[in-house]
Amino acid sequence: MGIKIVSRYGNTLKEKLYLPAVISGLKVTFSHFITNLKDTSKIETICYPEQLPKDITSRYRGVHRLKKREDNSIKCVACYMCATACPSECIFIEAVEREDNIDEKMPKKFSIDLLECIFCGACAEACPCDAIAMDTGIFSFVKTKREDFVLDIDILLSHEPMKGGN
Amino acid sequence: MSTALISIVIFNIIVALIVSLVFVPVLVWMERRVAGFIQDRLGPNRCHIGGLRLGGLVQSFADMIKLVFKEDYVPNSVKEKMLFRLSPAIVFATAYLSFMVIPFADDLNIDGKSYIMQALPIEFGILWILAFAGLGVYGLMLGGWASNNKYSLLGGIRAAAQVVSYEAVMGLSLISMLIVYGSTHFGDMVRFQGELIWGIIPAWGVIIQPVAAILFIVTAFAETNRSPFDIAEGESEIVGGFHTEYSAMGFGLFFVGEYIAMGVASALIVTIFFGGYQIPWLNTAALYEHINMVFMVIIVVLPLVSYVFARWIKKNNVWHKKDDVRNKETRWLIIGLIGVNILVIFTLLLFLLFGLEENGINISVALLQVMTFVVKLLMVNFFFIWVRWTLVRFRYDQLQNLAWKVLLPIAIANIFITGIFVVALGV
Repeated sequence: MGIKIVSRYGNTLKEKLYLPAVISGLKVTFSHFITNLKDTSKIETICYPEQLPKDITSRYRGVHRLKKREDNSIKCVACYMCATACPSECIFIEAVEREDNIDEKMPKKFSIDLLECIFCGACAEACPCDAIAMDTGIFSFVKTKREDFVLDIDILLSHEPMKGGN
Repeated sequence: MSTALISIVIFNIIVALIVSLVFVPVLVWMERRVAGFIQDRLGPNRCHIGGLRLGGLVQSFADMIKLVFKEDYVPNSVKEKMLFRLSPAIVFATAYLSFMVIPFADDLNIDGKSYIMQALPIEFGILWILAFAGLGVYGLMLGGWASNNKYSLLGGIRAAAQVVSYEAVMGLSLISMLIVYGSTHFGDMVRFQGELIWGIIPAWGVIIQPVAAILFIVTAFAETNRSPFDIAEGESEIVGGFHTEYSAMGFGLFFVGEYIAMGVASALIVTIFFGGYQIPWLNTAALYEHINMVFMVIIVVLPLVSYVFARWIKKNNVWHKKDDVRNKETRWLIIGLIGVNILVIFTLLLFLLFGLEENGINISVALLQVMTFVVKLLMVNFFFIWVRWTLVRFRYDQLQNLAWKVLLPIAIANIFITGIFVVALGV
């Protein structure tokens, strides 16, 4: 086992003068400044309310949606698995018996309080029927009243999956 | 009291007001836009008055209005209310008063009488500046102490220790310049820099004394508490430093004072090292002689520069939404640019055709020099901003090491060498 001597930086005269390093740093920042000043259209900044982000993937956990079957009836069977799995207890379900012989149960009320929700995705993981999903891509949900943040079954059913997700 | 004296005093005070107070929003805007461009961002560009954005400059005025109308909250823990209130005012006033002795143009001759083109026509400018630069730190110290808060106190102590160390180096680097110029009057210094060395190089301070120039620029950064010497604020360590407890205009005065101090430091660097109001190779006498040639050059160059600028505006001043009121701005700016061009060229053509009498030539020389000074000032201000967004903050012990172990010996050695040269050459 030999001793490995690691060379230390900062001991040469050029490095102790500081100024060459300062000037090379200034050169880097100035080249950025000039290229951006000449042509501002190359800057990647998104001007948010008018331009929306384009890099939201299909795995992004946005606002929830309830899926439908092929005959447009609700896929959820009101098994309460999502409400049980929810760590912030923001899912409220009331079940009724299903009359149309497709399944045994369906939710009468299904509401999610988005002010409580932490968007962890545990509900979508827990669902045995793959009936709840968070693939809407809705990342900003703005309302003026607290009550408006409690999404009921109709709103959840009306959400569509994100189009053109990558 | 003649009308000439009164109008010159008023003109000087207005110029001083513009380059100190009115430049603050411009500097804040410059800082944010330059920072944005350096970091590949856009910076403020949204705020507008009827579609007029001026590249985001309107944002600074909006911010100022917001600061003025905010609630000025004083925490209960503050025991010394008077000192707490006084300290932002001290910082602001000292920075502001320092600006009053900077010459904007060479002494103006009207009807055979000569007037000093400073807001305060005094001849010991450098002493005035040093006095007020030392006073400014009292504001930071008192503010930090009166806030009755550990972070603020730390910030105040850091500011005090830093300014004490760098004030010494600054004074010593100035002494070598005083030996060269042989005067404490800024006007004399700038007149000295109007000459040429061996008939080719302008005798600017930075060429005669490069070491003193570097020392002075470094200490000016430290003196204005700007990065890389902004440990007095040190927001990653001590929240906001001395201004942690301040809100609204209390903070606003610190903020404005800081930018005025930056302007003063830039003005000093320009005046002492970069030839002040002198146009290189064209000192006051030469400008007086060749005034018609200068007018002709302006008539030719101004439209060309405006054309390039207008092209740049047209290319880059676009709002991403089609039918927005901000999209109309480009047209107005170009119309304004053309208007200014026509006005300036027409006036200069009149001067050329009918000729100017002596007072007129003197005044136009002074105006040209004021403009030169402002351009140089803005360039040095840009340098300050550029450095701030390039270099990282010094650690506290590194900062003191740099001041006492590196800069101070160099400054003293520089004084000796300068002294030997001056004595040997018998200048």
